[in-house]
Amino acid sequence: MRTSKIVLSVLFVLSILITACGAGTSATQAPAAGSEPVTLRVLVHQNPPMVDFMNTFNAKFQEKYPNITIDMAVVNANDLSTVTQTRLTANDVDVVDMFGFSNAAQPYMKNVDPPNWQALIQAGLLMDITDQPFLKNYDPSAIEDAGSFEGKVYAINLGRVSYSGVYYNKDMFAANNVKVPTTWAELVTACETFKAANIPCMTAGGKDGWPIFVGAYGLLGAEYPDQAGLVQGLWEGTVKWNDATSLDMWKKMQIYARDMMEEGASGVAADAAPGRFASGAVAMFPSGTWSAAAIETSQPAFQWGYIPFPGSDSADANKYLFGKYDQGWAVAAKTPNKDAAMLYLSEFSDPANYQAFVTAVGFIPTQPGAKLDTQIGQEVAPYLANFRVGYEQYWVAPKGTGQWASPFASFFKPFNEWDDAAKLADQAQADLQAGLDANK
Amino acid sequence: MYHFGRGWARLLPYLLLLPGILFYLLIALGPSLATTVYSFTDVSGLPGVPVHWIGLNNYKEFLLLGQAAKDNYAIFGRTLIFCFFVTTIQFGLGLFVAMLVNQPLKGVNFFRTLYFMPVILGAVIQGLIWSLFLYPLGGPVAKILEFFGTRSEFFGGQPTEAFAWVIVVQIWANMGMTMVIFISGLQTIPSELYEAARIDGASGWQVFSKVTWPLLTPSVNTNLTLNIIGSLQAWQLFLVLLGYRNGTQVLGYTIFAQGFGQTSGSVTTSFRQGYAASASIVLFFIVLVIGMATQYILRRREERILG
Repeated sequence: MRTSKIVLSVLFVLSILITACGAGTSATQAPAAGSEPVTLRVLVHQNPPMVDFMNTFNAKFQEKYPNITIDMAVVNANDLSTVTQTRLTANDVDVVDMFGFSNAAQPYMKNVDPPNWQALIQAGLLMDITDQPFLKNYDPSAIEDAGSFEGKVYAINLGRVSYSGVYYNKDMFAANNVKVPTTWAELVTACETFKAANIPCMTAGGKDGWPIFVGAYGLLGAEYPDQAGLVQGLWEGTVKWNDATSLDMWKKMQIYARDMMEEGASGVAADAAPGRFASGAVAMFPSGTWSAAAIETSQPAFQWGYIPFPGSDSADANKYLFGKYDQGWAVAAKTPNKDAAMLYLSEFSDPANYQAFVTAVGFIPTQPGAKLDTQIGQEVAPYLANFRVGYEQYWVAPKGTGQWASPFASFFKPFNEWDDAAKLADQAQADLQAGLDANK
Repeated sequence: MYHFGRGWARLLPYLLLLPGILFYLLIALGPSLATTVYSFTDVSGLPGVPVHWIGLNNYKEFLLLGQAAKDNYAIFGRTLIFCFFVTTIQFGLGLFVAMLVNQPLKGVNFFRTLYFMPVILGAVIQGLIWSLFLYPLGGPVAKILEFFGTRSEFFGGQPTEAFAWVIVVQIWANMGMTMVIFISGLQTIPSELYEAARIDGASGWQVFSKVTWPLLTPSVNTNLTLNIIGSLQAWQLFLVLLGYRNGTQVLGYTIFAQGFGQTSGSVTTSFRQGYAASASIVLFFIVLVIGMATQYILRRREERILG
């Protein structure tokens, strides 16, 4: 009796273990992308026009491949890196949205860590897609610059964006008899005119922090058109955050944060700012090209224009657009759904689908055959020959650098504590120098 | 007298304790030890990336390297300020509210539920509620301030003000738990003591200071300990309400930001879980020292009052 109880107990425990193991196996086992049902897990960052497009694309994809179900998760851009890391590590995602590869360690940088994307590749978490046929649809330089590492391709980049421009309300400019500014002095005058008419000059998604920096990018770009050179200069000491050129930038940034930005902009979320601009609450909206679709969706009849942020006193120096490689697709190396993932990327890369994506999202295309034939495409077209990759795509801070060593307009009141440009410039340089000295 | 028999039977209590001890070692002590080991490495948190033993480098960087180390001391100071204000205000408010809702009044359960409700909300929901409440462009509080001819940027404004608002939200979010612990303590005090005190002519303050306060000692100790540890480790509300803003970070949030490649838009930093582990160990020692000192003082007080 006692023996049989023990045997039964052992069998019971074994059966539970076998069931548990079996369940684990079936959960990760990959059905082929043929007729067996597959759930493809996709991760994207929050960008309303892009998410809208993806929902439409996913529905069409599922219609074409009824055995594949798309399970798309959307996360805030600030959380994308963290969620990507945790889900890739847990083998809980198949296709991930990944910004263009940037911030690589340069020979003149000492004692810096590899950027996240490089760590993910070296951890074997991203799939080598070098041999995939859909790569030929893309501009080779975009593949090389934004998705490759040590000769292998790990991501396809879906487009460049400019973030150093400013949207303006055409009707409001006309009604107040304000000329579209081409220099810093004209911009200051325009804002003073609007303020005198009781119209806030600008808004931005200050709640998320980064839009305030992005909005003032034209000021950094106007002072330092060679952004890679700026980064090298800061590391090598030939450029300082408190030299005369930088001080001019800080002073303008203070005016931008204190006098141009509307009161309360710190509470506006990044994805709500385009709608606020389109509602006619403010005259201008410094932001990237990605905001155009949201503005149009919010108020289709709204009349707007887009110009490079006039950060310089010379109109010719304001004809540059600075930006970056934005969203791309990478595939989890350990995905059990490789065939479905490749089918998804292949379908997305189809020229017709890609064109629809570019039109919806407003990216400057990375497929040679695609055109940004929307209004924002026409607005940026004159400046594309002067497109430059921005500072923050190159910058890696030396270890030990203090917290103020970044060219952020959001350090000024009312967004933070500084109200003296010269003192902030000195603090920024001191914080940077502390990091440089610590790594000598 | 030993109740578990003789010989091998004497081991029975230890055998019964063994599963619990193993479980504790596995889920509590294991990760703590692993964090200690990781703090001496350059681990990124990604499987497959080589991990190197780098000795005390993470600690040197966190505590000594450049201006960033000085910024870390400022963060440490801010963490203590946060702990002080949250602990004292939450404790005082929790006790006050507990005494209010411990009265035999009609509808008192409704108010108990109301005050406790924030505790069951997650940090994201708590953050969303307060972001809407303090929306500077026409939110309810902004309207009230406008009526008085003033305004504020609330969470997006001056670091000191933004930091103060997080203290408010932290207290709002956790005061309910403090209240519940005090209510349970109040309900263990025999009503005869109150009756006797009143018959002896004690005033309301005398009843509180001579009867309620001493007999609440176990609840006082529990609440103080929980409030101190909880506020020293706080980070979620900082993430949800403020993000990574200079002049507002506390140690718990700094650890998260370093460990998980805190991003600002698309600008990414590296995964530095070894460095974050060293910051965690520093935080652990701070909590340990403050927690043990508090425990020592509270126990002496308890022995003095309750014997």
